[in-house]
Amino acid sequence: MSVTSEFTKGLYKQNPVFKQALGLCPTLAVSNSVESALGMGVAVTFVLLCSNSIISLIRKIVPAKIRIPIYIVVIATFVTIVDLSMAGFLPALHKTLGIFVPLIVVNCIILGRAEAYAGKNNIGLSIIDGLGMGIGFTMALLLLGTIREFMGNGSFMGIPVMGPAFEPVLIMILPPGAFLTIGFVLGFFNWLENKRAK
Amino acid sequence: MRDIGKLGGLLLLITTIAATALAGIYNVTKPRIEAQKALELDRALTIALPAAPREAIFPVQANDDILYYVGYKTPEKKELIGYAFVSHGPGYSSLIETMVGVDSLGAILGMKVLNQVETPGLGTKVEETRHGEGEPWFTQQFLRKPAGQLAVDKDGGDIQSITGATISSRAVVKSVVAAYEKLLADRVKQD
Repeated sequence: MSVTSEFTKGLYKQNPVFKQALGLCPTLAVSNSVESALGMGVAVTFVLLCSNSIISLIRKIVPAKIRIPIYIVVIATFVTIVDLSMAGFLPALHKTLGIFVPLIVVNCIILGRAEAYAGKNNIGLSIIDGLGMGIGFTMALLLLGTIREFMGNGSFMGIPVMGPAFEPVLIMILPPGAFLTIGFVLGFFNWLENKRAK
Repeated sequence: MRDIGKLGGLLLLITTIAATALAGIYNVTKPRIEAQKALELDRALTIALPAAPREAIFPVQANDDILYYVGYKTPEKKELIGYAFVSHGPGYSSLIETMVGVDSLGAILGMKVLNQVETPGLGTKVEETRHGEGEPWFTQQFLRKPAGQLAVDKDGGDIQSITGATISSRAVVKSVVAAYEKLLADRVKQD
């Protein structure tokens, strides 16, 4: 268990979205544009870093029986901090992400890492784990956001890249487009994995 | 069961620490959030009544509710420019709020969508600014038209509705008409 592998496992091998299929609700909901995908990814990474460090610090005094409520309190506190700071400093992004910022509380990636990792490992490793998983999540959102915004709106970060003749495939930025995209992307990664195994 | 007091106490301790931290953050961010809201209102009023300087736009209140805004050319209330009001109507998936400015005859001077959570890529176009253009195209169509007689093209009017988002387009138009009628009624009451 090296430090590097603890970091990189979140990027591909145990990518929270593509490999663990966790946190799919925000992934599907806010991946309709690159900009909101990036905002959501950064917000989740920040919460994950903070909650992983605090939970790792208090892991020895937290009794097993009430660990889940304590984890949720810690996570909810950081999410509220993100929510308030975003409303104060990045109002436009706050408006775009809307209800999905408070919903980071129930993002299963965060509770999942608290339970599976930060509650059992020291703070240094927990921070690295949180960073890797957060970046892995952000990359997944960015990949979906890029595909969906490109196909559904012909643009990248709001800048048109396809010219006026391009007829956007509207369904891609609507909810069904999220399911279609994640289906194909998950299928692609599984196909890649199978090919490697042979 | 014997350790219920110990567990409860620990949980209480942790929630107290969390609550204290949040209270601190809340107090730090509260003035910023309020400043952002005031800034947003300023911006919307300037778009709604472009000819009136911000300090020459005054709210007209009944009890604690702001009914509408009156804009003049100078802060000394000389030369009436027009009125601004907030309209809201149910769109496809949210309440669409718009700030609208009209002159004394009811022609629209400017408007800005304040809040909407419509379908991304369809209804959200009510406030979309095309790349390279300075102003949102949908609300630009309203300019100089009489606020009391607006209708989308499908209802025989001359506001071009957004492709695939007739409900959102119609919601904006209808809410502006309704809010303008309310403005007329409120102005009679105020005079």
